[in-house]
Amino acid sequence: MALFTLENISVAYNKQNILQDFNLEIEEGKFISLLGPSGCGKTTTLRLIAGFLESNNGKFLYKGKDYTKVPVNKRNFGFVFQNYALFPHLTIFDNVAFGLRLRKASKSEIEKKVASVLEIVNLSGFEKRYPKELSGGQRQRVAIARALVIEPDLLLFDEPLSNLDANLRENMRIEIRRIQQELGITTVYVSHDQEECFAISDQVAIMNKGIIEQLSDPATIYNYPKTKFVADFIGFKNFIDFEDQKIHENEIELTKSGFTFIVQKNKANTSTDGKTGAIRPDNIVIRPLKESVTAGKNELPGKVKIRTYLGRSYQFIVETPIGDFTINQELLVPYQVGEEVILEFPANNMVLVK
Amino acid sequence: MKNRNIYLLLLPGVIFLTIFMVIPILLTIGSTFINEGSFSFDGYLHYFQDKYFIGILLTTLKVSLITTFICILLGFPVAYYISKVGTRTKVLLLLLSIFPLLTSSVVRSFSWMIIIGKNGVLNKLLLNIGLINEPLNILYTPTAIIIGLVHLFLPLIIITLVGVMENMDEDLLKAAESLGASRLGVFAKVVLPLSMPGLVIGSILVFVGSFTAYTTPALLGGKQRVISTFLYQNATTLNDWHTAAIVATIMIVVTLLVTITMNQIAYKINPKG
Ligand SMILES: Nc1ncnc2c1ncn2[C@@H]1O[C@H](COP(=O)(O)OP(=O)(O)OP(=O)(O)O)[C@@H](O)[C@H]1O
Ligand SMILES: [Mg+2]
Repeated sequence: MALFTLENISVAYNKQNILQDFNLEIEEGKFISLLGPSGCGKTTTLRLIAGFLESNNGKFLYKGKDYTKVPVNKRNFGFVFQNYALFPHLTIFDNVAFGLRLRKASKSEIEKKVASVLEIVNLSGFEKRYPKELSGGQRQRVAIARALVIEPDLLLFDEPLSNLDANLRENMRIEIRRIQQELGITTVYVSHDQEECFAISDQVAIMNKGIIEQLSDPATIYNYPKTKFVADFIGFKNFIDFEDQKIHENEIELTKSGFTFIVQKNKANTSTDGKTGAIRPDNIVIRPLKESVTAGKNELPGKVKIRTYLGRSYQFIVETPIGDFTINQELLVPYQVGEEVILEFPANNMVLVK
Repeated sequence: MKNRNIYLLLLPGVIFLTIFMVIPILLTIGSTFINEGSFSFDGYLHYFQDKYFIGILLTTLKVSLITTFICILLGFPVAYYISKVGTRTKVLLLLLSIFPLLTSSVVRSFSWMIIIGKNGVLNKLLLNIGLINEPLNILYTPTAIIIGLVHLFLPLIIITLVGVMENMDEDLLKAAESLGASRLGVFAKVVLPLSMPGLVIGSILVFVGSFTAYTTPALLGGKQRVISTFLYQNATTLNDWHTAAIVATIMIVVTLLVTITMNQIAYKINPKG
């Protein structure tokens, strides 16, 4: 059963709808990420769940109970802010103890719980310091400890790692995942770092302009995007808008300007409603054009327009009769600009999206 | 080399202050210890045994502290509100709230006389609606002085508090709320401690201003002397400059003591302020 449910939620700022008919269900103990471009409404969703924002209509259910009108301080959800929001006038101990004191916990209980949560985030011994006297990563962990210590029913993170450097970010996300799994706390996590979301989550929701385009486990999203937006967002740089399609037993045959493409049927390519083919730059094969050979099925003739050296590989932009394509390849002897080539689109690497 | 040059920039200000402030103050303080050509504490001993003077000193202290307290009570909610509204409304509200500072003390005091005088607007109103049977005696009492001073100095508290509250991270309040704090809890545990720097500066300004105010108590206090009207009376009416210097020194010392105490209290509430 879903731990909590957002039903037809709408949020507007200055009469402009940010979320509209927004639906989301999260199961107990799961780690779910909201991923999407800047301004798509991730923070808004999170603040709505936390209770900082009110929805115009719709319902927020928690364990089947209507939580829509329950005020923030009665929800018992832990919130970790992007800029940590530690109380600058309190020591680390008092920061972490803040929520416990409000719950009228006894002195010995507070000491015990603070000590154990600081242990979990590896910050034992820092009790007497002030937030100013900590590094970014340490502050981050205090913020997590402060949210954890109240034993929240739900843990909410808003881009908690975006202020940290790459190395620390990786360590911290492993840490967050470890703590979450150890304590089994249902978690909603917001980020616009794709790798971070994929690495840390049970489920990823890709958001676009206030709606969820796709909600699946990371591998499904990575391999089988459902919509053009999702595909583009996770790196399928190349799209072909097909004109016609025929469904066969194991494959789908598509045409565009007289060129024929075969796409294998799989988890994603079953329906007939997807008529746009998407493929990653890494998956297109680039070959030299030999005089005698003409382009066959799943192939396009083209001419190298731009070549960029990326370090590990080269990136080519190739001009073809049906548009430009981006290809990444590791090559010792790269193609020259202006060189005629053949592009091959392997049948098992093309995905059909809406 | 560079650093030394930077100190040179301070020079004009330091010279000016030394000639026109530090030296006169030191001379004034020094002169109070000289009695008939020799060093003595007689002047002070005399004043601290004088019931009339002690009464004035205590009244002034009381009036200034009450004024400061009322300003804090009134200023806090106003400042909190102003810090939350949009920029344009904020400018307008701030302008409105500093308006008392832009009018002359004399005009302001006379307006209060019209309002709180024996036959003033306030008494007429209260008599007419039957809340009182006798006109209230407010004018020419310490209460009148407090009313006038609060009116004058409230803007100082508001401005300094808006200053700190504006820079308070909204997320801190949200964090407190999400940890379970009620509105009141958020105020007591986060807003108040974080406002301490502004509150201390505002309170000191109000206190020092009230303690040394002249026009308002002179006009609204009637026969009720405060320390600065007492000083003025000694210096100009009685031409007793020695006494005036002693009173001035006592004023300086009291002001310093109260300022230090306020700072200490603030440090207790917010050690990192
Ligand atoms: N207080 C506000 N007043 C008006 N509009 C707002 C306000 N807060 C957010 N918005 C608008 O709502 C939309 C969604 O904002 P939100 O903060 O949810 O985006 P986000 O997905 O978290 O983006 P980011 O990745 O940049 O943090 C944006 O277009 C933003 O301009
Ligand atoms: Mg955001």
